[in-house]
This record gives sequence, C-alpha cells and structure tokens, in this order.
Amino acid sequence: MSKTLHRIFIIILILIGTATFFYFGMYGYNYYTTSNEERFFNGLHKLLKPSGLIGHGLGIIGSLMMIIGVSAYMIRKRIRKFVRIGFLKHWLEMHIFLCSVGPILVLYHTAFKFGGIVAVSFWSMVAVVLSGVIGRFIYIQIPRTIQGQEYSLDELKSLDKDYSDRLKTEFGLDDSLIVKLEYFNKIQIHKRTNFISIGWLIFKDYFINKKLLRKYKKELISKKIESNKVKAIIKLCNSKLVLLRRISLLHSVHIIFKYWHIIHLPFAIVMLIIMLVHVTVAITFGYTWIF
Amino acid sequence: MFLLVTFTFPVLAQVSPGDLTKAHAYLEGMSNCTKCHHIGGQVRNQECLNCHTEISKLQNEKRGYHNSNDVVNKNCFDCHSEHHGRNFRIINLNEKNFDHSKTGFVLTGKHSKIKCADCHKPDFIRDNKIKKNVGTFLGLRSVCMDCHNDEHQSTLGSKCESCHSSENFKSASMFNHSQAKYILNGSHLKVECIKCHPIEMRNGKKFQKFRDLAFESCNSCHQDIHKGKFGNKCESCHVTESFRTIKNLEKFDHGKTNYPLIGKHVPVKCNDCHKGGLKVKPKYEKCINCHKDFHNNEFTKNGAVTDCVLCHDVNGFEFTSYSIEQHSKTKFKLTGSHLAIPCLTCHKKNTKWEFRIDGDACVNCHINVHGNSITLKNYKGNNCEACHTAEKWNAVAFEHKLTGFELLGAHKRQDCSKCHSSKNENTSKVISFTSKSECIYCHKDVHVGQFIKNGIADCERCHHFNNWNPDRFDHNKTSFQLEGAHLKQPCYKCHKTIVDEKGKYIKYKFDEVKCALCHL
Repeated sequence: MSKTLHRIFIIILILIGTATFFYFGMYGYNYYTTSNEERFFNGLHKLLKPSGLIGHGLGIIGSLMMIIGVSAYMIRKRIRKFVRIGFLKHWLEMHIFLCSVGPILVLYHTAFKFGGIVAVSFWSMVAVVLSGVIGRFIYIQIPRTIQGQEYSLDELKSLDKDYSDRLKTEFGLDDSLIVKLEYFNKIQIHKRTNFISIGWLIFKDYFINKKLLRKYKKELISKKIESNKVKAIIKLCNSKLVLLRRISLLHSVHIIFKYWHIIHLPFAIVMLIIMLVHVTVAITFGYTWIF
Repeated sequence: MFLLVTFTFPVLAQVSPGDLTKAHAYLEGMSNCTKCHHIGGQVRNQECLNCHTEISKLQNEKRGYHNSNDVVNKNCFDCHSEHHGRNFRIINLNEKNFDHSKTGFVLTGKHSKIKCADCHKPDFIRDNKIKKNVGTFLGLRSVCMDCHNDEHQSTLGSKCESCHSSENFKSASMFNHSQAKYILNGSHLKVECIKCHPIEMRNGKKFQKFRDLAFESCNSCHQDIHKGKFGNKCESCHVTESFRTIKNLEKFDHGKTNYPLIGKHVPVKCNDCHKGGLKVKPKYEKCINCHKDFHNNEFTKNGAVTDCVLCHDVNGFEFTSYSIEQHSKTKFKLTGSHLAIPCLTCHKKNTKWEFRIDGDACVNCHINVHGNSITLKNYKGNNCEACHTAEKWNAVAFEHKLTGFELLGAHKRQDCSKCHSSKNENTSKVISFTSKSECIYCHKDVHVGQFIKNGIADCERCHHFNNWNPDRFDHNKTSFQLEGAHLKQPCYKCHKTIVDEKGKYIKYKFDEVKCALCHL
C-alpha cells in the first residue's frame, strides 16, 4: 500500500468514525438531550432506547467492533504465528478505528444514560478509549520502523545526521545555517517520567520549533533561496527537530509507555467482563434484539 | 486497581438500568427484579396485574379505559414504562388529547372544558385504596353525585341526567315539566322556576324545593287578591295565559266583588264600566266615577260634587230615593199638598230639571191667579200664605172681616167662589176680589131696583145675613102702616107678582097708596 493510498484509507476511516459520531448525534439529538424522565414520551424512544431497534443494535455492533478490534490486534501482536500478517502499524490503525467507532456506537447505545452495573463497563470503556488516545500519543513519540520495530538511540542519531547531510547535499545549506539549527535544539536527554511534564514539554517545544522555523525561513529567504527549496528545507528541518525532541524524550517515554499498558489493558478487561454480565442480564430478561 | 475496579463497582452498582418511579421505589434492588420481570421474557401483564388488582378488576368488570380496545391487547409497559427515574410520569396522560369516551364516560359540555384534576381527585374517589394513589385517574364512577353536590338533598333521586345536561347544571335543560305532575302552560311557561320553586334553607344549606310542592290550588303560589270571595277555583274564571284574561264571563258573579251589580247595573256590558279592558279596575266609590253629572255641578258641597246616591239608587236615575224627610232638611220644608205632588211639578221647568230654586215664594212655582185683583193691605209681596196654606189652595184661611166685610150668617157658609167667581164673556171663570161690598154685586136684585135709593140697594134694611127673609123690614116704618085686618093678611094679598118689561117680580113699591090697589 502506497503512502498516499494509506493516507486515503486512514482519512476514510476517520471520516467513517466522525460521520458515525455526528450522524447518530444529530439523528438522536432531540432524544438524547431529553431528560431521562421525559425520554419515554419522545418519538424516537422506541428506536433509540438501549433496548430499541437502533439503540440495541448499536450496542451489539459497537460491542462486536470492540471485541474484534481488541482481539484481532492482540492476536496479531502477541501470537508469533500471526506476526507476519500485515504491518503491525496497520493492525494498530484498525484496532484504533474499531475501538474508536465501537465505543461511539456503544455511547449511543447507552443513550447517555450511565446507571447501574453496566455503567462500570461504560466508564471502563471510556477509560480504555482515553488511555488509547494517550497511548497513541505516547506511541508516536517512540520512532519506529514501518514494521513497528523501535529504533535504537544510535540509529536515531544516525537518522539525525542523515537529515543534516541531506540539508547540505540536497539543498546546499552552509554549515553556519545548519549549526544555527542545531544550536537551538541540542539533544538533552529528558529524565523525568512525569506524563504531564512530557506533555507540557512537547506542547512547548512545538511552538518553539515553529518560531525557530519561521526565523529560519526568513534567513533562507534572505539568502535568496528558491521558495520551493525553502519549503522542502523547512519540512526537512521540522522532521529533524521532531526527531531531536523524540531522541531527548526517548527514555522517559519508554518508562511511561510501560505504565500505560498497565492501565489500558485492565480497563479493557473490566469493560469486557461487565459487558458480558450486562449482555447476560439483558438476554435473561428477554432483550434479544432482533433475534 | 484492577481488582478494585473489577469487583468493587459491580458490587456497588446495580443491574437496574435506572431508578424506578416513586410508586415502585419499594421494588428497588436486585432481589425484586423478578417481581416484575419474567425470566426468559420481558415484563408480562400478569406481573403488573398481580399488584394492580384495581386494573384487573376493571378489566374483569369490562369497564374503564383499561377495558378499551386501546388497552386490552397491549402490554402494560407500552404505556407504563419504568426505570426512567424517580420522577418519571409512569402514568402519562395527555389531558388535552385523551379520548375520554374510551373510559365509558363521554365528556360532554362542561365536562369537556374542565381540568382532569377537577374530577380526578381523592375527594371524589369512593375506593379507599385507590384514593391513596396520588394523581390516579382511577376510582371515579359515572355517578353524578360522586363529584357533584346533591343540591336537592336526596329529594329527587340520583338520575341527575334526566334533568340536567353537562352543558349547564343550573339550567336543568333536560327537564321536561310536561312529565311532571303539574303541567305548565300559558304564562307558566314563561315564569322563572324560582318563582314557583323558591329557595329555602334546609339543613343549613340553600335548598330549592322541586318536589312535594302544593299545586292543587292556584293559591298555592298566587296571592288571592279576592281574599277568598270567589272561592279557590281560580280556573273557573282565569286562564293561565294571563290572570287578567277572564273566561266564562257570563258566569262571573260580580256580586262577589267589592262592587256587586244591582238594579240597572246588572245588564250593563262589562266594557261600559271596565273601559280599556277587564284588567282595568274602575273606581266605583262615587257614581260620577262612571256616570256623567247630569245636574252639571248643581249639587256641590264645599266645592265637591255631591254623590248621586243621596237621591238615586241603582234602579234608575229617573227615580229618586230622595225622601220627604231629606227635603224637609232643606230650606223649603214640604208640607200639605206639597207632600203629594211629584218633584217635577216644582223642579222641572219646561224640559229642564232645576233643583235649586231661589227663595221660597209660592209664586216661584205657582201662578198668581189673582193678578192685581187683590189689593188687601196684608197681601203684600205676593204673599199667598196670607190666604192660602200648603194644605190646599181652596182651604183659604182668610179673615174676611179684615176686608171690612165680615162674613156673617149665610155668607159664612158660602164658598168664596160664590162671590168671587164669575164668568166672563167667554164663559170663563173669573175670580175677582175687588173690594165692593154692595149686596147686589154678588146677589141678584130680585126687586128689580124697587128699593134702590141714591143708587144703593141697601138690602140690609130689610134682610140680614142669615137668610133672605125680610126680618128687618117693619111695615109700620113705611108710609102705609098695617093695622086691623091688614095685619092678618099675607103679603102677597097686596104685593102681587107681576110681569112687565122689567121682568117677573113682586111689586113692593107703589106709586100711590090706594085701597083700590088691593081692594076691588
């Protein structure tokens, strides 16, 4: 799959997720914004109530999507036999998609009514999703190959050198300009494992880099370098700066990512167990949807 | 943390998808789920009806909304859902759109305008169990008096709808008075109910009586303005159209009124007195209230016309009840012949009655037949009473000697007319009272003037008033005194009756006294 095709595929998945969220949100807005005491009298109640045709269906489909998304990714990731099936990155993307859209459907299944034992499942699901989002953020801070394998620190430093070489050879930047770029972004190994401090650092670094690149861009323009070249140089510089930041944070991110797994997985298990209880109770009391 | 999340939450949380309503709050808790929920199926009606016996009772009795087609084949939870929170309206009645006819009680008139809660409130619910259910719509019966006060205080039964409509309770528009014992007709149809059915106080409340009212007699409602004079059968004269309309007029007994019709009033037509209709009650205190004053104010006293009844009665104006006694109280007291003569003799002059006669002189009525012939001193001012009395004209009480000619002897026995009456050329009787006292003015001079001397007969020389015998005559005082045999001779031997140009008479005076006149 080419990079562009992959990008289109990702956009489609995002669009599907977004469209699902907004479609049901808009379709059931009137119902969902009605107080619990009044919902029964809403015209959409029969369809959108948790045991309704649509509501119940959303719950079943959403739950299945999450079960498939979790289990498929887990199997691919953890069972050696399936290691060679597709890129892990793509499996992760599928995992993210199914486990993002699934919760959206489950959210509409709950009809925003979070009570009883199943609420535990729901909030666990929310925790899993949120931790997933955070995990995704942490995950991308660790540079990897397309196969999903992490680069070593030396490999990263080599990559950084490659960027500098490319700036020299491809765009003919003189040393003074390259030194200037590296002066602002000296590699400083970040030792703190506080997620908030890392987040704040990344947040802050983003704007610093932007400012630096703007300044750098002016200098490039003053050197009368072609605008196309300037754009490519700035893009390459940005990649270099991001890489430098990731190198500096690599140690801390590794530690945090380890902790993250401890959170993400148990919530998922809690969610699944209570979901099963919920499903069992529902079937016991005769709520079998279309079956 | 995993264990905490995995086991703590399920324990604390509940399976329930939401709070039950307040009414069912006592069923909260996992142990109670199966009291409503059927394992392997959803909530069945039977579980609901096990508790809600009031509904099952209605359905068994085939009444109420829960027996309607809208409900019978439905699940209870289709309408009465649960687990929507404490404040969920498990009974959600759309008061505006609810078809009340499906309850078996069609809302009409005012019922369709009032709020549900105006009827569906505990005060009107008889079942003590249902009454406790706040906001329930159950428990009402289709009996008017369950909601409405019985203003009639159990006097008219319980079928309110036989008289009242739901449009307006007060008007009793369904009531048909023709089905009542007393049928309304005529003006009774226009009378307001309250006029006959008055409001009174009963048991401390206002009460309008509709039953057990006395109506056998009109007097039950109407005031008898006749005060019982005509009995109690008003309908014999009156009709219900109007009390003023009188029927059977010919049978009407006016004698029972304040003014009984007597005499000439009997045949008079009603309208002659009741001008403007019988409803007009004419004044009757005085005759002139109806009758014209024939005498044109001739009889007034202190400026007011004296009523006719003083002289007349109802038997006719041509007759009068004015009595002699009453006349005697006037200035002119009737006496003598005046008592016998009819009124008109004095009071009807020509064709006009006149009752006011100025003065009491006889000549006001009587003709002075004497004219100027009486010249007596005391006959002044046409004072008839000087000679006459009211007893009789002929009975003259006259002192004849006042004339200088005293009646003596036979004169006393004679009618006045013997002397004072004569016949004129037309042989009409002429009465004359001239003061001539000569005998021959009245008496015939049978002596054909033999004794007249100086134009005067002077009969009294020989005669007196007792008779015509010449008792006063003395032959010796004549020129020929009687002596001897002459004394023995009857008069006629010498004074013979002769007939000559002077007529037939006895010759008493001789031109020459000679024996040969008598003796041959």
